[in-house]
Amino acid sequence: MTIRQLLFTSLCVFTFSLAGCQPSQPASGSGADGNSSGVKKIKICLLPKIKGISYFSSCYKGAMEAAKELGNIELIYDGPTDGDPKKQAEMIDQWVVDGVDVICVSPNAPDVVASAMTEARAAGVKVITWDADGSPASRELFVNQATSQSIGEGMVNAMVGDLGENATGDVVIISSDATSANQNAWIEVMKPALAKTKLNLATIKYPGENASNALADAMDVIKKYPQLKGIFGISSVSFPGAAEGVEQSGKTDEILVTGLSTPNDMKKFVQKGSVKSVVLWNTIDLGYLTVYVGDALARGKLEKGSTKLQAGRLGEKQIAGDNVMLGDILVFTKDNIDQFDF
Amino acid sequence: MKPWQAFSRFRWWHEAAIAVMLAGLLVVAGWLMPTFLKLESQLLLSRQLWELAIVTLGMTLIVITGGIDLSVGSTMGLCAVVFGICFSATGSVALACTASLIAGVACGALNGVLISKFQLHPLIITLATFAAFRGIAEGISQGAAYSKFGAAFGQVARGSFGGIPYAGFLFAGLAVAIGVFLARTAHGRFIYAMGHNETAARFAGVAVDRYKFWLYTLSGFLAGLSTIIYVSRFDTARADAGKGLELDAITAVVVGGTSIFGGRGNIIGSVLGLLLIHETRLFVSRYWQIDELRSIVIGILLIVSVLLYRGLERKNRD
Repeated sequence: MTIRQLLFTSLCVFTFSLAGCQPSQPASGSGADGNSSGVKKIKICLLPKIKGISYFSSCYKGAMEAAKELGNIELIYDGPTDGDPKKQAEMIDQWVVDGVDVICVSPNAPDVVASAMTEARAAGVKVITWDADGSPASRELFVNQATSQSIGEGMVNAMVGDLGENATGDVVIISSDATSANQNAWIEVMKPALAKTKLNLATIKYPGENASNALADAMDVIKKYPQLKGIFGISSVSFPGAAEGVEQSGKTDEILVTGLSTPNDMKKFVQKGSVKSVVLWNTIDLGYLTVYVGDALARGKLEKGSTKLQAGRLGEKQIAGDNVMLGDILVFTKDNIDQFDF
Repeated sequence: MKPWQAFSRFRWWHEAAIAVMLAGLLVVAGWLMPTFLKLESQLLLSRQLWELAIVTLGMTLIVITGGIDLSVGSTMGLCAVVFGICFSATGSVALACTASLIAGVACGALNGVLISKFQLHPLIITLATFAAFRGIAEGISQGAAYSKFGAAFGQVARGSFGGIPYAGFLFAGLAVAIGVFLARTAHGRFIYAMGHNETAARFAGVAVDRYKFWLYTLSGFLAGLSTIIYVSRFDTARADAGKGLELDAITAVVVGGTSIFGGRGNIIGSVLGLLLIHETRLFVSRYWQIDELRSIVIGILLIVSVLLYRGLERKNRD
């Protein structure tokens, strides 16, 4: 059989199968919404900034735990693998079309996803932010892992504590994207907090959510500022990148790296001593709480103006305005880091 | 006459093959996911398509001449930055849109001049401008993002008339105009002639260089135009706009049956190619909810379609 004959035959077959398939479609579509147990199954989408990094994977772990406890929840976890906020916006659009009940967004750039989130709310989807906040009009609630105040001060305190009260010299901040709302809020807290110390903030770098850029930025500032005493790596990607940079340039004894990341990413640095403190919150609890908030909103259990939410094993959580508060920061050091696995 | 002989005289089998693939995909998708075929959701999600679709029109013409324009994505990045800077300086969306179009035309014209005047291969020139335009965009914006262009401007990409997005009408108008230009005018025949054999076309008196200049300029203009939709859709103008879009556009053109060596192809094929890629992506990401699967499936689709065409092509020569 020649390829033309083959194509002709397959065209015929396709046409027939097309005709055969059409009437059966409505039948398969009906009855899909019903649920035997009587309780409505709700679909909760958890959208991380980047999929596949340990920080967000650990949040997902907590989210799965909550979904299992609550029951009747279909949890969808998906996000861009490259941290592109435009892909986040497209995913939100798609979920709205698919008729999900709750979308929990950790926006990488609040402005980019704002219109998609506002549209989702207009379509009747409950939209909350978690991990990072978006513009207030685009979401109902923000699950706040820790106030910027406590995180920013926590990092400065860790640096001052590890360097010694009277340490002098330059420090630099290696952030994430210049548009990241979280990091920018922390920097705003860190600036005045650093001004009270004897350390001088030399510069702020924005490598994006990219470990090799963060490494290059670290090498760069090490060369540029001979008085450099410390580097703050304030995203879970730039912190290990910066620590790697200090190790590669052989300045482990002179330059201290501190910042914010997951324990698993930082264990090897902490054990070697190039990093002394890692600041974070309990990310598993963050994912857990987010799903509890989403469930409560979707089932109408959370009324406007409530100040408390019962969140499973976490107990009662405070709601301040439109922020659901997770609680305090955690500081990982050589002594306790091995107890955490995420 | 045997049935397949009649079939071989049929001139549109490239398009028919891709239409069959598209229909097959829709049937399977509708069977696995009954909500997939809902017109309303299809129209809503079509907004992921229009910027790419508009750029693909210009790319089709260029690939038919045997050329390629790798710089369209970077041109969009530069246009977005120009848009953002112009908006923050003047506060006027209309001026910013005009500036974006002018920047697009300028980028395209630069490609056109370099390619036609210096007789360099478009692949090399546009590879150079691919890097340069993005670099300039990042340099002048310093990585900053411009935003908050107002709710009214957001409607450019998100608004619709009778359920059909505005950008859809724009694309339909452009596709018909460019399709007729290519298929029904002498200019269109010359474009095919250039792709078949540029030297012969030159000897036949076709103003090859002038055509090249205008085609790359058109491609730049379309990139500027789709930047406006892109910026509106995300309410953000940043140097990373349109990243990777050039490869999607080339993929759509090739899947649509246009020969990468020039001389063959048409707008209908490209439109079908676009639809096939768009629907495949939508289905994959909506059904499996895994973002990274999208690019894998598109890669497979490209290879399958090219192999299919080659099989058909070989038979067609005898």
